[in-house]
Amino acid sequence: MDTLDKTEWDVIIAGTGLLQSLLALSLSRSGKQILHLDHNTYYGGHEAALSLSEAEEWAEKHAGDPPAGARSCFAQASVTKTAEGDANGSKLGFSRAYSLALAPQLIYARSNLLPALVSSRTHNQLDFQAVGSWFVVNGATEEGGQPRILRVPSGREDVFGDDSLDLRAKRSLMKFMRFVASYDEESEEARWAEIKNMALGHALRSKFGLNSDAAITPLLALALVEGNSADLTVEFTVPRIARHFRSIGMFGPGFSAVLPKWGGLAEIAQVACRACAVGGGVYVLGKGIRTATASADAKYEVELSDGEVVTTTWLTGCPDDLPSAAPPSTTSSPSKTQIVNRAIYIISSSLDSLFPPTSEGGPVPAGAVVRVDTGTAGGEAVNVLAHSSDSGECPSGQCVLYTSSMGSKESQDNAIQYLIRSVNEQPEPHVPWKLQYQQYISYPFDAEAATTSNIICLPPLSADIVLGDEVLDAVQHVWQQTTGVPADSFMKFVARGEESVEEQDTM
Amino acid sequence: MASHGIPRVSGGTPDKSEQAREKEQKQIEQYKALEKSVVERVRSKDYSNDTFQATSQLLTQNPEYYTIWNYRRLLLQDVFAKEQDRKEQPETKDIEAAEKEGLTPPQREISLLIKEDLQFLVPLLKQYPKCYWIWNHRSWLLGTATRLLPPRNSSELWQSELGLVSKMLSLDSRNFHGWGYRREVVAEIERLSASSMVEKEFGYTTKMIQTNLSNFSAWHYRSQLIPRLLSERQADSEARRAFSDAEFELITKALYTDPYDQSLWFYHGYLMSTLNPANAQAPPILDPCTNAERLHYLEQEIENVKDMLDGAEDCKYIYQSLLELSERYLEVEAGNKVVISQEMMAWLIELRKIDPLRVGRWRDLEVKLKF
Repeated sequence: MDTLDKTEWDVIIAGTGLLQSLLALSLSRSGKQILHLDHNTYYGGHEAALSLSEAEEWAEKHAGDPPAGARSCFAQASVTKTAEGDANGSKLGFSRAYSLALAPQLIYARSNLLPALVSSRTHNQLDFQAVGSWFVVNGATEEGGQPRILRVPSGREDVFGDDSLDLRAKRSLMKFMRFVASYDEESEEARWAEIKNMALGHALRSKFGLNSDAAITPLLALALVEGNSADLTVEFTVPRIARHFRSIGMFGPGFSAVLPKWGGLAEIAQVACRACAVGGGVYVLGKGIRTATASADAKYEVELSDGEVVTTTWLTGCPDDLPSAAPPSTTSSPSKTQIVNRAIYIISSSLDSLFPPTSEGGPVPAGAVVRVDTGTAGGEAVNVLAHSSDSGECPSGQCVLYTSSMGSKESQDNAIQYLIRSVNEQPEPHVPWKLQYQQYISYPFDAEAATTSNIICLPPLSADIVLGDEVLDAVQHVWQQTTGVPADSFMKFVARGEESVEEQDTM
Repeated sequence: MASHGIPRVSGGTPDKSEQAREKEQKQIEQYKALEKSVVERVRSKDYSNDTFQATSQLLTQNPEYYTIWNYRRLLLQDVFAKEQDRKEQPETKDIEAAEKEGLTPPQREISLLIKEDLQFLVPLLKQYPKCYWIWNHRSWLLGTATRLLPPRNSSELWQSELGLVSKMLSLDSRNFHGWGYRREVVAEIERLSASSMVEKEFGYTTKMIQTNLSNFSAWHYRSQLIPRLLSERQADSEARRAFSDAEFELITKALYTDPYDQSLWFYHGYLMSTLNPANAQAPPILDPCTNAERLHYLEQEIENVKDMLDGAEDCKYIYQSLLELSERYLEVEAGNKVVISQEMMAWLIELRKIDPLRVGRWRDLEVKLKF
C-alpha cells in the first residue's frame, strides 16, 4: 500500500519496545488486522540495541533535559571517548561491530518469559547465553590498595570449593541456602514469621550461625539490592536471593540466568515483531501518533505524524508513544518521578576472568554480575552487568559493562575503575568509550487509569536490573482485553509447518 | 441413531481428535510396512544398500528395536568382508587418497563407512542417551575399527570417542552408560598407545565432583582408579598416608557442605573399607595397613562424624555412619576407649525417629549390635 490514509485496523500498536512487541507476538495468530508503528527509524524503542554511531546519535537526541510532561524517557545523555592514539591506544572497532543494549536486563531461568517464547515458537530464533558467575568487588581498601574481587558462592558446589569458608561456615551457609530454597513453603512458616522483619545481617548471625560481615555481601550480590545491609530485612532480600537459587541449574549446571545474544531485550522485540509480520501485521517505522479521537461506533480516529488518518478499534502503546491526551490521565493519583543513572562502558580488554565456565565441559558464559562496594559513607553499592564479546555486543578483545543505579554518575565511574583494578590485568584496561544517561520513570503506574475504553497504555519497562514476571503479565492483561479469548491460550501457538500439513489433509 | 432429528455430534466442525487419530493410523501403517520390508529383505539375504537405508529409517524411529541393530551389523559385516575381498584394481584417485591416510584402499572404504555410521548415531544418542543398543553399536563399530584398521587410525577414532563421551557427561553427569563407556574408551586408548591415563582420569573425576557433588558415578570411578594411581606414582608409605589424609579431608569438606547427600557417605564408607584387610573389594591405600592405623582412622572419623551432628541433628546418614564406625571399632578394639554403648543406643533411637519406615532394619541392627 502506498498510503495508510483512510485504512481501517483492529489494533494499532504504538512503539516497538519490548512490551509492545510481545503484545504483537501474542496477537500474531489472532487474525486481527494489526498496524504496528514506531516513530523511530529503528526497532526496539526504549529497549533498542545500538551500533556505536547510532548510540552517539541517540545521545545527541537525548542530551538535554527531559521534555515536560513526559512519563518515561531518557535525558542528560552524553558520550565520552578517550583521545585516539593515547598511551593506552586501544582502538574501537567499526561502528557496526557493536550492538549496545539499552535494556541489558537479566532474565532468570525461572522467568515466565522463557516458557512463553517456547510455546509461541519464537525461542529458536533467539540465541540465549549463560550469565555464569557473580562477583563482589571490595573497593574500600587502604590508600592505594588493590581492590579485591571475590566470586560469590551461588550453589552447593561453589560452597564446597570456596576455600575462604571454613567447615562451619560451609555448613551454616548451606543451612541458610536450604532455608531460602523453601522459605515460602508450609514447612518454614513458623521460622519465616519469626525472622521476616529482622535485618538480614542480624538474622544470619543469630539464626544461622554465620559471621555476617563475611557472609552478607555475597548474599546481597545475589539479591541484587543497591543499599547496604543495615536496613534490609529478611522479607525484602530472601525472595530475591531465592529467585536466584531456584533458577540455578535449570538450563545447565552452575548458572541461574540467561541473556539474549546481539543486544539484550532488543533481540526479543525484533523476533516478536517478525512473528507478527509473518502473521499479517503491517510494520511502519518513522511514523508516530499525533492524536486519537473517539469516533462513531466505538472506534478511534487516529492521526499519524505525517497527517494520515486511520481508524482502529484498539489503540495501545507505552506512555510516550501514545498522544499526551491519552491515559494515564494526569488527574490520577499524584505521581513521582524516579531518576536512574545509567551507563554503558566499553572496556579495552575482554576481562576473561569474569567469564569462567561454571561446569566441566559446560558452556562459556557470556554474562556476569559484579557488585562493587564503593565504600563511600552512604555505603552505596553499584551492580554491574558484564557482557563478553560472545554476546555479539562488541568485537572480541573487548567487553561491555552496564550500570544502573540511583547513585551518582561519579559513583558508577568509580565502581568501574575499582572493577578494572581488581582483576589485576597488565596492562591495565581502560574505557575508550562510555555513554551515560538518565532514565526518568513516573510511578506508580496505575493500570486502571491507564485504560480509557479502547485505548490501553502499557507500563514502561522498569529500570530494575532483572526482567520481572510482571512484564509478561502486563502484556497478557492487554491481550486479554483485546481478544477476550480464554487465558490459557496466551502465547500458545502451533508451529507454522504443522498447521499447513493439517490444512492440506482436509482439502 | 439420531434422536428426534438432532444429530449426535454437534456442529459442522471436524472432530480434531479424529484427524489426529487418522494421522497416527497412517504413521503406524508406514512403520509396520517398513519393519516388514526390512525383516523380509534380511531373511532373503538382500544385503544391499537399499536394505541398509531402510534399517536407518527404522532405527531412527525406534532405536530400542535391538534386532534391527543386529541386522545392521550383519549388513556392515557383509560390506566390510566384500571390501576386503575385492579383486578389481581400485581407481588411482582412491589409491592416492588412501595412501595419504596410511591405509590400503579397502581399509579407507571401511574407515569411511565406520565414520559415517558413527555420525549417524550421534543425533540418536543425543535424543536417547540411555538406550543400551546405541552405546553398544558404537562399541561394536570401534571394535571393528580396531580389528580391521592400523592402530594409528583406530586410535584417532577412540580419541574422538573420548571427546564425545565427555560431551555426553557434561550434558548429563550421572548417566551411568556414559561412565561405563568412558572406562571402555580409556582402556582401549591406553592399550593402543601403551600409556596410562590414570592421572588424567583421576583429575577428571575431581572436576566432575566440583561440578556436581551428588555424582555417584564420579565418586565410584575415583575409587576404582586409586589403587592403580598409587602404584603408578610408586607411592611409598608416607606418600600413601598423605594421599589418604587428603582424601579424608576432601570428603569431610563435602560432608560438611551437604551431609544429606548419600553419594558422599558411600565414598566415606569406601575410604573406611580400604582400612579393612578382610574387604577384598577395596584394596588398601596405606602400606602397611596395620591395626594401629585402622584404629587411628576409626577414632579420628568417629570424632569427625560426631562433630558433623552439630547443626544436622536430623540427618539419618550421620547416625548410620556412627553406628557402622562404632561397630568396626568394637571389632578391632573391644577395649572401648572411644565408644560407649549408651551413645550407640541413643543414635539408634534417633535413627528410628527420623526414619520410621525402616523400623524393621533398625531392629535388625539392634540385634546385630547386641543391645
